[in-house]
Amino acid sequence: MQAFADWIATTSLSAFVNGHAWVWPACETLHFMGLALLIGNVGLMDLRLLGVEKGLPVAPLSRFVRWAVVGFVINLLTGIMFFAGNPFQYIYNTAFGYKVVFIALAGVNVLLFYVTGVARQVATLGPGEDAPVSAKVIAGTSLFLWIAVMYMGRMLPFIGNSF
Amino acid sequence: MSLLEWLSHTAPVVWMRESESVWGYPTVLFLHTFGLGLLVGFTAAIDLRVLGFTKRLPLAPMARFFRFVWIGFWINAVSGTLLLMMAPTKLSNPAFIVKMLLIALGVVNMWFLKRRVFRDPAGVGEAPIPAGGRLLAASSLVIWAGAITAGRLMAYIGNGR
Repeated sequence: MQAFADWIATTSLSAFVNGHAWVWPACETLHFMGLALLIGNVGLMDLRLLGVEKGLPVAPLSRFVRWAVVGFVINLLTGIMFFAGNPFQYIYNTAFGYKVVFIALAGVNVLLFYVTGVARQVATLGPGEDAPVSAKVIAGTSLFLWIAVMYMGRMLPFIGNSF
Repeated sequence: MSLLEWLSHTAPVVWMRESESVWGYPTVLFLHTFGLGLLVGFTAAIDLRVLGFTKRLPLAPMARFFRFVWIGFWINAVSGTLLLMMAPTKLSNPAFIVKMLLIALGVVNMWFLKRRVFRDPAGVGEAPIPAGGRLLAASSLVIWAGAITAGRLMAYIGNGR
């Protein structure tokens, strides 16, 4: 980890992030926009599957997931910029460790949704139809994990003492 | 001494600002981020649908997500007021003033969008969305992106935090 951080600190990406005063705040702003896109569009699907908003047919609603992916990619890229700019701020940070773990778990959860066939199962659900328990568990887990990712991100400067 | 200044010296606010506990300032900040996610996230989803993304999705039930937009709004009104009490000097930060103006504009824009596009729940989605409705959805995206930008820049412009 230390070796990786040492290396990334020597890259031109790192130099770019540190070389211009506007890059960090611009990336932070994009990171917040990405966060909103991710949680809003994932939330749409999760709340539908959980039955909080049963009025929407699932198949067309699931198309909104791609906007969540857009949000995730924005945040992955801007996150890489933060990390490259100041890797030593992150590698020994407890909150950052948890954040990465929660992102990985959220990824596994998404994978389970598609691989186990639950996604195909719920695609036929029309307005008012209840999702199976398996889908509800995945949807609830998804909401919990993404909120946990957000929480750990926000706690970066406060948990541990590397900032 | 202004009301805000007086509030900033009350015991709970002093504790939130000065305590080392994660339940003070960090938790209020997290709630503000969570509220932003709900408010802007669901608003963006509604805007995208109004702009024509996934026309197969019926528009009327989509209007129910305005509830979550408002939940996000109120979480942020409360957490934002607490953050302001912790640091009243924010009031003189130009980025803060721009942010407040954009939020006011965003709420007014949302009200117009709701009236223009979602007024008649039964008929919503049957007829094509009027150009005015699509314009309001586009301006909504721009306004909220602006509010996020102004909010973030508060840490860099003026007196910070």
